[in-house]
Amino acid sequence: MRNSRSLRGQVAIVGVGQSPSGRVPGRSPLDLTADATLKALADANMNKSAIDGVLTGNAFASSFHRFSIALSEYLNIQPSYSNTLQVSGATAGAAVNTAAAAIHAGLAETVLLACGDSLLTGMTPDMAIRAMTESRDQQYEMPFGIPVANTFAMTAHRHMKEYGTTAEQFAQVAVTFREHARRTPGAQKTEPISIEDVLHSKMVTTPYHKLDCSLISDGAVALILTSAEKAKEYTQHPVYILGGGEYYSHEHIFLMPTLTQTGAVESSKKAYQMAGITANDIDVAGIYDCFTGTVIMMLEDLGFCKKGEGGAFVESGEITYGGKIPTNTHGGMLSYAHPGIPAAWFHFAEVVRQLRGACGERQVAGAELGLVHTLGAGFSTQASTVLGTENTL
Amino acid sequence: MNGLVIEKPLPTADGDSQAFWEGLRSGRLLLQHCADCGHVQYYQQRICRQCQSDNLQLKPASGKGTIHSYSVVYRAPGPAFKDDVPYAVLLVDLEEGPRMVSSLVGKDFDALDFDAPLTLKIIQINDEVSLPCFELAINELHSS
Repeated sequence: MRNSRSLRGQVAIVGVGQSPSGRVPGRSPLDLTADATLKALADANMNKSAIDGVLTGNAFASSFHRFSIALSEYLNIQPSYSNTLQVSGATAGAAVNTAAAAIHAGLAETVLLACGDSLLTGMTPDMAIRAMTESRDQQYEMPFGIPVANTFAMTAHRHMKEYGTTAEQFAQVAVTFREHARRTPGAQKTEPISIEDVLHSKMVTTPYHKLDCSLISDGAVALILTSAEKAKEYTQHPVYILGGGEYYSHEHIFLMPTLTQTGAVESSKKAYQMAGITANDIDVAGIYDCFTGTVIMMLEDLGFCKKGEGGAFVESGEITYGGKIPTNTHGGMLSYAHPGIPAAWFHFAEVVRQLRGACGERQVAGAELGLVHTLGAGFSTQASTVLGTENTL
Repeated sequence: MNGLVIEKPLPTADGDSQAFWEGLRSGRLLLQHCADCGHVQYYQQRICRQCQSDNLQLKPASGKGTIHSYSVVYRAPGPAFKDDVPYAVLLVDLEEGPRMVSSLVGKDFDALDFDAPLTLKIIQINDEVSLPCFELAINELHSS
């Protein structure tokens, strides 16, 4: 029996928009986010008066503590439902799940989800230091020089120890996503790279080289969600939210229950159950790729392969076209863009376009079911969302 | 230079952690032992994370631990750490059970390995702050 408290098919994404991304000097986070919003409204053939809810994440290069309110003022929108969420990299997935729940519950009818930042060109030294030191506990982590990158590095290192995952397998993730970015207009990095290039790039924090690490970018993305009943007023190709799940297992890296298995197991299980599917049914995925090893661990925890086999899975071509689960077809944070909290909104934008069949030469043929998995803060925060076309309802 | 003072983030004790940082100043790494359920915790809080009892007792750690994972940092996470790179950050499993974040004293990175034994070395940063760092327990490794 289906749980009566389910989001399945109740809410759809009807508009997607992006600002220019990569290096975009001279434009504030609010400007970029408003730019993306106007494009999403145009995409949905929607007037901004239809929006009665606004959810965002915060921008490091902006001094506003309530970015969703500042954005609403910038756009001259007065929503009756709004919040600025903060669960680090998982904010995108959490925002989609939360907006869908709010629409289903009647708190809002049409919600704008938008997030933008200018990490590459908009940060003053003060802001950069704030962004760096605020990322981890000031007492038990930061004094040892361990911001968030090193927490991910230590989980990947332990994965190598326990499962024999190799630096070459990590590198293959970067190589694959670079190939994907080469087909994506607007990608920040498009020159081809080899496994050797990754392994010979500068060591940042072992086992991660520079090319194992995601980019630093400017940019913004906006999504517009509305009820399934209203969706067809705006688009012929609504992309429905079929399931959502989240999991928050720890704050400090030293209290992570197991370094090599994450809360993505639980968040995806909940999302799959709500959607009534398994990982095997999914045609295309967007997976948060702050580092190469992160993707390998997520492929395991999301159920695309067995624990410990993520490295071999990537090596045998399963995350690209013709493989089991084409992933980050836009190039991801490793090659398309990583403007911070907005980064995972790009994964949603790409999976929505895949499910609309609008990806041109990078289209995954026949894609009907998609997964977006976002995470953050050293695997502390996890949010999974299953999306589907009308055929999957 | 831009005149900005770039200092390392140093801990500021709060109500939960005052005794912990005082302990380090006097040369002891204090762990919280729950008198009700026996749980031992490193991260200091008013209540036991296992049973929520507030019957916690502070006891000094033996100072012995092993490496659960580690990363050698070559690119400084901000200007304050530029003079320190390369340095190794550690996830240490203490003999008493809890895991903690720390850093290696010295730069003998080739000797780092998973499960390698460590010895606590408390490093005084200034009058207020001493940090619990670790050295490789090389002699013990060779004799065992």
